Amino acid sequence: MNKYILSKKLYRNELATFYSFLIGFLIALAVGSLILFIQEKNPFDVFSLMLKLSIGSVNSLSNSLNKAIPLILAGLGISIINSVKLWNIGAEGQIFMGAIALNFVYINTSINNSQIYILLLLVSGFLGGAFCILFPAITKVLFGVNEIITTLLTNYIVFGLTIYLINGAWKDPASLNFPAAAYVNESVYLPTVLGKLSSGFLICILFTLIAYYIKDKSVFGYEMRIAGGSELTAIYAGISAKQKAFFAMLIGGGFAGLAGAIELLSQTHRVSTGISQGFGYTAIIVAAITGMRPIGIFLVGCLFGALTIGGSVIQTIGVSSYIAEIIQATTLFGALIAQFFFSYEILKKDEND
Amino acid sequence: MSSPILEVKSVSKSFGNIKALDNVDFYLQKGVVHGLLGENGAGKSSLMNVLSGIYLPESGTIKIKNQNIHKMNPDIASSFGVGMVHQEFRLIESFTIKDNLTLSKANIFTDNFEEAYEKYSEIFTLNSSYLTPINELSVGEKQKVEIMKLIFKNSEIMLLDEPTAVLTPQETLQLKESLDQLSQEDDKTIVLITHKLKEIKDFTERIFVMKNGKMVAKNLETEKVTDQELIELMMGEVKTSNFKKDNKKGDVKLEVKDISLTNSEQFKSLDDISFTIQSGEILGVAGVSGNGQVELANVICGIEKEFQGRVLINSQDVSKKGVKSRKKLSLSYIPENRLGVGLAPGVSVLDNSAIKEYFKASYGPHLSKGKMLGYLNDLIKQFAIKAPDVKAEISTLSGGNMQKLLMGRELISNPEVIVAAQPTRGLDVSAVEAIHKLIINQRDKGSAVLLISEDLDELFKLSDRIIVLYEGRVVKEVGIDSATIETIGYAMAGIDE
Amino acid sequence: MIDVQLMGLLNATLQAATLLFIAALGELITEKSGILNLGVEGMISVGAVSGFITAINTESLFLAVIVGVLSASAFSSIHAFVTVVLKQDQTVSGLILTILGLSLSSLIGKPYVGKKLEVKLTSLIDIAEPSNIFQVLLNQNLIFYIAILLMIFTAYILKKTMFGRRIEAIGEDLKSADSMGLKIAKTQFIATCVGGAFAGLSGVYLTLSYVPYWTDGMTSGRGWIALALVIFGGWKPYRTAFGALLFGFLEALGPRLQTYGFEMSPYIVKITPYIITILVLVFLTIIKNGNTGAPKNIGIPFFRENR
Repeated sequence: MNKYILSKKLYRNELATFYSFLIGFLIALAVGSLILFIQEKNPFDVFSLMLKLSIGSVNSLSNSLNKAIPLILAGLGISIINSVKLWNIGAEGQIFMGAIALNFVYINTSINNSQIYILLLLVSGFLGGAFCILFPAITKVLFGVNEIITTLLTNYIVFGLTIYLINGAWKDPASLNFPAAAYVNESVYLPTVLGKLSSGFLICILFTLIAYYIKDKSVFGYEMRIAGGSELTAIYAGISAKQKAFFAMLIGGGFAGLAGAIELLSQTHRVSTGISQGFGYTAIIVAAITGMRPIGIFLVGCLFGALTIGGSVIQTIGVSSYIAEIIQATTLFGALIAQFFFSYEILKKDEND
Repeated sequence: MSSPILEVKSVSKSFGNIKALDNVDFYLQKGVVHGLLGENGAGKSSLMNVLSGIYLPESGTIKIKNQNIHKMNPDIASSFGVGMVHQEFRLIESFTIKDNLTLSKANIFTDNFEEAYEKYSEIFTLNSSYLTPINELSVGEKQKVEIMKLIFKNSEIMLLDEPTAVLTPQETLQLKESLDQLSQEDDKTIVLITHKLKEIKDFTERIFVMKNGKMVAKNLETEKVTDQELIELMMGEVKTSNFKKDNKKGDVKLEVKDISLTNSEQFKSLDDISFTIQSGEILGVAGVSGNGQVELANVICGIEKEFQGRVLINSQDVSKKGVKSRKKLSLSYIPENRLGVGLAPGVSVLDNSAIKEYFKASYGPHLSKGKMLGYLNDLIKQFAIKAPDVKAEISTLSGGNMQKLLMGRELISNPEVIVAAQPTRGLDVSAVEAIHKLIINQRDKGSAVLLISEDLDELFKLSDRIIVLYEGRVVKEVGIDSATIETIGYAMAGIDE
Repeated sequence: MIDVQLMGLLNATLQAATLLFIAALGELITEKSGILNLGVEGMISVGAVSGFITAINTESLFLAVIVGVLSASAFSSIHAFVTVVLKQDQTVSGLILTILGLSLSSLIGKPYVGKKLEVKLTSLIDIAEPSNIFQVLLNQNLIFYIAILLMIFTAYILKKTMFGRRIEAIGEDLKSADSMGLKIAKTQFIATCVGGAFAGLSGVYLTLSYVPYWTDGMTSGRGWIALALVIFGGWKPYRTAFGALLFGFLEALGPRLQTYGFEMSPYIVKITPYIITILVLVFLTIIKNGNTGAPKNIGIPFFRENR
């Protein structure tokens, strides 16, 4: 009889996700080193430089954490939506929509109290993100339209809308070569708290806790888990699975929209194509790699923020910034490979026949 | 006696911490119909899955036609002439009969398919064109296609897993005739898996008996063995209790009036059903599955909303009410589909334990984990549930413990009305016994119980009255004293006496 | 003059459609076997950049096409390994394949940004301003004809041959297919790599003919439209081709709208294909009552001993 048997493990190690992440990260570093080696760079030098320039000083660390904000917020949104076993591939678009909604409100209102104004603008960003996923959410719960495709395609639509706006109605005449909307007034900038670290990071911590609470400690989170486990069980329990899915999607979209608003108020200060540099996609990696756990998303988000900053600074020594992205994606692939060994075991059979 | 065509020695197979097969020996004689008898969960299906290459055993040897098998998978098994009809059919629903018969790599009628189809569809009295898609066939017809699949694969050893479970008595008789023909004329070796004594006596020549993953009797001659002996082998020491039927009945707790349900294809899945159940009474619902049982339970429990007629709980009309408000009126529902409806797969034991009354552990939007844990610990103690890790997924529990958790969750609040559908399906004898005691206990506490079951023994043991559902209608209603297996059986088949 | 304009539109339609169609057809084959690969965008990108680099360095178009196809196929084998062999989540793996593919191709393509291709896939017969349909057809390059052959070939294989029926059997019902003795892992692995190869061909069409240069993110969501096309076409090759023509037409129409006298921002025109894709997807899902014709067991990892 067969010498090796593949067997599914009944219990998974509680820390399986964490170990898988570590293994994945090591694999990714190895792959990154290999690529650097082929490019005739010393991987050790490059990585230590990345480390130094991403967390080596208060300034670089705050840069890294600023970069982490959109990754974490969008990742949290994705994880909330995944509670009902749905995917949000549209975080990128929702981030842009958050910024667009913010700018729309900013242009059409005027409030003297800057704190209240900032709050209003952040809320409009959140609502913008929620609005962005509204159509995919409605079509999903009413007709069962595949949300992966609809949320993804909205990214291109919103990006197109952004370009349309910053080349047309919102175009800042002062910005000649680079199409962008006009800057918002300095009074609504998000203040910094430490070095260059934006106070958006505090909002980010707050929302991490909110997401954790929603998912793990609230009735709504419980109902989402049941609905995500089995729609039939939800119906049996008197829980409207569709309603949970709908609100999960809107809230998740709102998280990403908030990321766009913070990015505008703390980094770009205006609507431009630079509002997001693929944060919505990287956030998918961040969320998936942590098994959709909010605290994990926060930590990995910080790490990936640092990686992104590290990636952009090593361009100065002629290394492509894409190394960082490749490491991020490969980490997840490595983690998936490791996951296999936490879910299955290979038994060797005694050969006595 | 000639050497066996198939021989299995000391095969073991575990799933997690459950030993499905424990050092099992098994052998088959060519051209003979064998019976493999055992309770649900005894390991019969696991053994057959090993023989057909689906499960790889951790130890043991398999010899087919005097050859030691060194590597096993479904392909190799069928090349050695082993074919299996699973309880859940392995037919591709959207494909035609022809595709299902011929796509197999082992198909022998590649050139003369039409001829062969004509011949065997006649033997099996299958009156459908081979271009008919599977999803247009009845359950009985599908099974015929499944058995034909084995013939087209030239299987000499045919393993049939509970083939009669989905058949009417008439179809069962037909099946027996075709199996006899296959064994006698084509010299096929057949294994019939069942937990029904009568069938094993009618169908087979030799009997093997399994219990708790072990082979407890081998190659008994059917003619020489008595029912009593088989029962003892199958059930072992466990004594099944006989429950007294001197229960006191009280007020009407559940009333169902003129319930009809029409599905989207204008087919009536429930047709004018009315009955009442009193406090302290168990009403049994008999019927071959698919005759409206699930729909009836769903209507009563508020899952199915588009029905005509009325449902009253404690004389209160709840026809327009939702699931939650019916539960608050002290209704509990143990659905037929344990994992998938009653329990949510992929979700923790803890979360699953709170499905009925999680709102009791909540303060506004906040859900208290502590309260949920306390509630679960009560369940575990009171219903003797073995749950090693309550934060692990529900699927880490054994079938019996899952059902105890589900029953416990629905019964701990002492509901006045209980709807239980197939509560013991797939459980071992001791678990069945435990579940039966729970139901009787609840009856004695004054609950009104609607017990939907396909297992007639169970219905006779527990019910005070029995109704029979056939094609969505109540075709018979009898008190337990005047009911006989025969009359109920006829009614289940839709035959008027 | 109108004729020339119309034929120009038709010409552009066919080119845009070819690009979308080849990738969609590959994904269709992969999905038929029960594997969902959301990495089309990444695979096209890998095919596009490796084909382009080969063409620049060797000036051999033949070699460029081969390298583009093979590298995308090899790249897709990552997805096959993770989902088929290791039975991990297909959605996650496919998404990451896209992200990895885009960053990897950006990395290796960086030195080639802005370089001009000396060789280019040429039309069968080069006609500067085709004036009838016949001329438009002749004006296409070899990959267009290969695409048509692949369409006929794939449709025939899937519907009429044992081999194709078996692929479909696996995607429909893993357990039943397994009981028929079909090689599930092998078939799914190969089908995924074939899907990758097709995406690679689509990629080389992009860089060797459609827009003969390389720049970051030049696939601009075409991989995702290809995925939507498979749904649009109900997992049928000919209907997918029709869908590709429709979307190709929209893509071609965009920049021409103004010449027809429509006052519309070019930026808005650019997003119409995406809007229409969504609307069509919603419409199709509604009229088919949720049953879009998807293989029933798509996305489910197969482990024989699963109970």
